[in-house]
Amino acid sequence: MTGDCEVVSMHSKWGRGPNPYVYLIPSLVLLGMFTYYPMLYSLYISFFSWDIFTPQPVFCGFDNYVAMFGEPVFWLVLKNTLMYTVVTIPITMAISLLLAVLLNENPGWMRNLYRVACFYPTMIPAAAAGMLWVWLFNPGIGLVNYYLKKLGVPTVEWLYDMKWALPAIMIVSIWKNFGYYMLIYLAGLQGISRELYECCDIEGAGFWARLRYITLPLLSSTSLFVVIVSLINSFQVFDLAHVMTQGGPADRTNTLVYYIYQNAFRFWNMGQASALTVVFVLFLLAVIAISMRFMERGVYYEV
Amino acid sequence: MKVRNRLVMLAVAIMLVVLPLAIGSAQKRIVRLTFYYPVGVSGPLASVIHTYVNEFNNANPDVEVVPVYTGDYDPTMQKVQTAVMGGNPPDVFIVEISELPTLLAMNACEPLDRLASKEYLSDFYPAFLENSYGQDGKLYNVPFQRSTPVFYWNKDHFREAGLDPNQPPRSWQETEDFARKLVKSDASGQVARWGVTISGGWNDWLFEAFVIQNGSTLLDYRKQRVSLNSAEALEALEFWVKLTNTLKVAPPHSTWASTPTDFVAGRTSMLYHTTGVLIFIRMSAQFDYGVAFMPAQKSYGAAVGGGNLHIARSIPEENKQAAWRFIQFLTTPEIAARWSRDSGYVATRKACYDVPEMKAHVAKYPEYGVARDQLQYARGKMMAPGFQKVREILKTALDESTGGKALPKKALDNAQQQAERLLKGWASK
Repeated sequence: MTGDCEVVSMHSKWGRGPNPYVYLIPSLVLLGMFTYYPMLYSLYISFFSWDIFTPQPVFCGFDNYVAMFGEPVFWLVLKNTLMYTVVTIPITMAISLLLAVLLNENPGWMRNLYRVACFYPTMIPAAAAGMLWVWLFNPGIGLVNYYLKKLGVPTVEWLYDMKWALPAIMIVSIWKNFGYYMLIYLAGLQGISRELYECCDIEGAGFWARLRYITLPLLSSTSLFVVIVSLINSFQVFDLAHVMTQGGPADRTNTLVYYIYQNAFRFWNMGQASALTVVFVLFLLAVIAISMRFMERGVYYEV
Repeated sequence: MKVRNRLVMLAVAIMLVVLPLAIGSAQKRIVRLTFYYPVGVSGPLASVIHTYVNEFNNANPDVEVVPVYTGDYDPTMQKVQTAVMGGNPPDVFIVEISELPTLLAMNACEPLDRLASKEYLSDFYPAFLENSYGQDGKLYNVPFQRSTPVFYWNKDHFREAGLDPNQPPRSWQETEDFARKLVKSDASGQVARWGVTISGGWNDWLFEAFVIQNGSTLLDYRKQRVSLNSAEALEALEFWVKLTNTLKVAPPHSTWASTPTDFVAGRTSMLYHTTGVLIFIRMSAQFDYGVAFMPAQKSYGAAVGGGNLHIARSIPEENKQAAWRFIQFLTTPEIAARWSRDSGYVATRKACYDVPEMKAHVAKYPEYGVARDQLQYARGKMMAPGFQKVREILKTALDESTGGKALPKKALDNAQQQAERLLKGWASK
């Protein structure tokens, strides 16, 4: 049954103002110029050969893609990026969630102090944080090995060791980002009704039961947000790789975005870099689509 | 009343517009030059450059050079290339010498033959001019901050290990033997002190030196031939892998910035690094140290390194003339000698070493003369169009081999294949 539908007119409901879409034009222009146009142009250029030996773009079909998939460094880079993602996201989420829950239990001035302390690493610019940790991780005179030795733990060469360079960067990344997600979780926790916790006190549920049956399910929408955002961020890791290892001992900390940067601005192979960008975007889209589909089922909006 | 106020406001507005214009045109026209410079070594060299720029600006009131610190060699090259591609190049810039063919492919450099005289050029050390000429035989840059790798050693450690502190190793074999005596492990079996460190970061440059010591070259720009997997190169890499993996007296990987610190902290007894960090080591080392030629194999050998001064092509002629005056200022024997003393780079002209302060300085600190003396064994640095990619290919082979992930022969053959493919349009002619 059709009700009385108002025809959308050129004038808004609030009087003689212009169509709301007109207000969107500035954003659309900027978005078009700085996001959509470069994206489409990258797609276009990825089918051209354009580098130092070919100063004007020359059409070459899928050659760039073939070259990319045939380059062993590409697969190494992909593996590094995936490992980075798979390790840092769960750990960061777990730490930030636990801290948020703990902080939420204890309101007061102590909480504010801890909140500042936890968020502080996020506020440090990534380049500065990277430089700082380069010195902390120095195998001879850095503080990390100094304290490890005191604790009797065997030390490693960290950023100069092919096995440990990527874990080192992961550590810095986790340290840097957990404060941000902790704040997001704290905000999410505010949305959980007090009554539910009071029920727990009455029913005699302990901390872990409360966490499992009330807090976590009701935080699931926040968690989804955190997962998506951290997925996007982790695929874009560039600043730490550039500042700390420049791709690392033998490309062991070379990530997808850093590899694109190398191809574009060190090797000046724009065609190849564009092809890599296209693959990167498609990959990211796929990963996000899959995780959203997978997690939507587990998200509760009310208990 | 209203009219009078309006007239007053109008008069003030006109004055505000006209006055600056009047003052501006009363001054002479100043040619403003942007000067991109990198600092490729540790040390407070940015402030030294600023001192020279200020001296030039004060002595030449019609030119104003604006110095722009652009980081290391790699970021500097990127900034220069981006600026050139954007149509807004810096007027004067210093880039690493191997980048010349890439810049020439972009038509970014002004030929300097009409500006530089024969006697001016004849005073430079010939090895430093080997990276100044394009394939068309024209001069495109002027040496400024030049170096060769040298060999540093910790005399206290030598004494401790029973070696003569004034005798550095003279050959690859001696290096290996000394390193075995100098390496120290702590209680848990981890290395506390490396015997020798062949610095990472620019390990491709150091590798080039080893190959020259072994009697070959990696890439011939004039003949357009690349040979990364020659027998001599393979021997050199196998020597490296022996030090890092078999004997474990050298660290498999490191960065260019960390190794001088390691040396100063006593974490390595011997170090292959540029003469450009000499001032850092001199200021920071708390022990007796020595500087010598890199040990020989078939002969002593080195590849020169560093950065040269270029003038951009697509700038107005008066900028080019002003830029040339600036370059001439920076390459006078006095300034070049001061630059060498303040940085540890080799003074680029023979006349520099006749400057009295320089003579006294070298007499007091003989280590400043080592890189200069090694020049007789030095060749030009390898360069090719798209050099960054060639460098990356070579570094991957070196890093994978010293990391134990690839056999040297396979790694170098692979690198040769990739380099040939990359340069196929250029190298086979």
